[in-house]
Amino acid sequence: MTAIDIKLKPRKSARPVWDEEPSWFGKFVKALFLIAYGAAIVLPIWAVVATSFASEESLASAGGNLLLIPTDFSIAAYQEIFDGGALTKSLILTIGLTAGGTALSMVLTIGAAYGLSRTGSLLHRPLLMLVLFTFLFAPGLYPSFLVVQKLGLFNNYLSIILPMALSAFNLIVLRAFFMNSVPTELLDAARMDGAGEFRTLFKIVLPMSKAILAVIALFYAVGYWNIYFSAVLYIPGLETQPIQVVLQRMLMSTQGLPGAAANVSQYQSAAPDAALKMAVVVCTIIPIVIMYPFIQKHFTKAVITGAIKG
Amino acid sequence: MAQRFRHDWPLLLMTLPAMAQLAVFFYWPSAWNIIAFMDYSPHRPFWENPLVGFAWFERLFNNPYFLPALLNTLKYSFANLLFLFPLSIVLALVMHSVVSTKVRSVFQSIVYLPYFFSWVLVVTVFVQTLGSDGLVSNWLLGFGGDRLSFMSNPDTFMFLAWLQWAWKDAGWGMIIFLAALASINPSLYEAAAVDGASRWRRMWHITLPGIRPVIVLLLILHIGGILTVGFEQYQLQRDAIGYQTTEVLDTFIYYRSVIGTEGASFGTAAGLFKGVIGLILVLIANNVAHRLGEQGIYQKS
Repeated sequence: MTAIDIKLKPRKSARPVWDEEPSWFGKFVKALFLIAYGAAIVLPIWAVVATSFASEESLASAGGNLLLIPTDFSIAAYQEIFDGGALTKSLILTIGLTAGGTALSMVLTIGAAYGLSRTGSLLHRPLLMLVLFTFLFAPGLYPSFLVVQKLGLFNNYLSIILPMALSAFNLIVLRAFFMNSVPTELLDAARMDGAGEFRTLFKIVLPMSKAILAVIALFYAVGYWNIYFSAVLYIPGLETQPIQVVLQRMLMSTQGLPGAAANVSQYQSAAPDAALKMAVVVCTIIPIVIMYPFIQKHFTKAVITGAIKG
Repeated sequence: MAQRFRHDWPLLLMTLPAMAQLAVFFYWPSAWNIIAFMDYSPHRPFWENPLVGFAWFERLFNNPYFLPALLNTLKYSFANLLFLFPLSIVLALVMHSVVSTKVRSVFQSIVYLPYFFSWVLVVTVFVQTLGSDGLVSNWLLGFGGDRLSFMSNPDTFMFLAWLQWAWKDAGWGMIIFLAALASINPSLYEAAAVDGASRWRRMWHITLPGIRPVIVLLLILHIGGILTVGFEQYQLQRDAIGYQTTEVLDTFIYYRSVIGTEGASFGTAAGLFKGVIGLILVLIANNVAHRLGEQGIYQKS
């Protein structure tokens, strides 16, 4: 039974009959290229992870900041990060910013994407134009900075979330999905039954769009998680900084650059310097790696439909 | 009107928060660009700031650091375009020609991952591997060689930037082009192969025309952002490489105006220059795309 099943199932991997087999040389060059490219990306990441678990002695004997082959296993660096000090606070802050920011972004994006998904509704066209214009022009660094100051948000964590809360690109992608992939018959039927727009959105449209909503939420989340520049610009005076800023200060101290020492003293610790730094790197990577398979599975389709149909 | 409002008010209500965000953080700052034409001081009421015409732009163009920053921006922008674009296409073509789906999905996952890393992370990893105390330097020392110095050498910064783009962003371009490749009808290849077209001829006559709309779309987007090369990659390496090499327009505005001494009107003028050039370039590029029979980013309707 199973044998027949396997036979009937077309093998996706097979080379089509009309396609000639490439020469062994072509295959060899291709394989070499792919392996080299993949290794150039994987090896540094691996070295970072290996170093974060290294002890002082093994780091010293390897003579550098990174090692490829771990000789022992120490979690001193991670204990240091989670001991409740400056690094713990920074991680908690970054998680909070990411969660709060993503929630706000989703409310804005879903609302506008659905609100603008009905061609011919009141003010539909001018409002859509207001959104699309943001693709063409950028207001500039200084005016944005000035507005944050005028609102009294300078050195306030809200200044990290609010200015980047809406991505017009995500809005357009989601709107295109609502318009093209949610059957109009369902919407009409809901209206016939007397459901209002809010009811239609929550009961019909959103449950049908779970995958794309998750992808958009993850994109916003990665954006908030990686925040560096807005923190430098808008909250230079606050003590607890997002994790990327902390990492940057630690990096500066490695390079022995002027002005770094003062900033870094608060992160000095018992764990080996390089291990601690690499453990912070691992902490910034982990959430991305966890979200990654999901993004990868659903994302491409979403972006391409959005880009082409939008 | 009143009747349509009674009918459509829930839609408007849903759109309202996003519009408020755009109004406050896009249109309001856009309007503040007017201070590029004023002698603006935060210490007096807005209407008492005198209009000075294009004086700030004159001062901007005469600033000894502006032209180098502009030229650097253009240099990195074109280098990125000329390097990353073909690399992404080549990666996508190679991947597309790999028959095994397993190899494809593993490689895609690997190459695409660093796109989601922050620049802080990317620069840190580069310093740790290729820096003067990094992994590779230690190997070289072990073999009796010298330490690498190019993480702090202004002359080779362009090469470093290439490596960083290839590491971080090439996977993203590859994914976009792969999706475009997947949308090409496979029966076209079959028909061409049956007619005796070789692998290369099929690529030239089917694959490349098939992804042309995506290439044009990305080109237009890139041309509009030609003066926007990003802030972080350059700011993060400013101290190691030196500001002469890493100064681009965004870092220029930040260091000279936001935290520097040049003042609000100066920084705003520099930003407005950037924004207006970007706007003009997008419109031109889109127009050219329409003339070449491509879709572009918006329809004329």
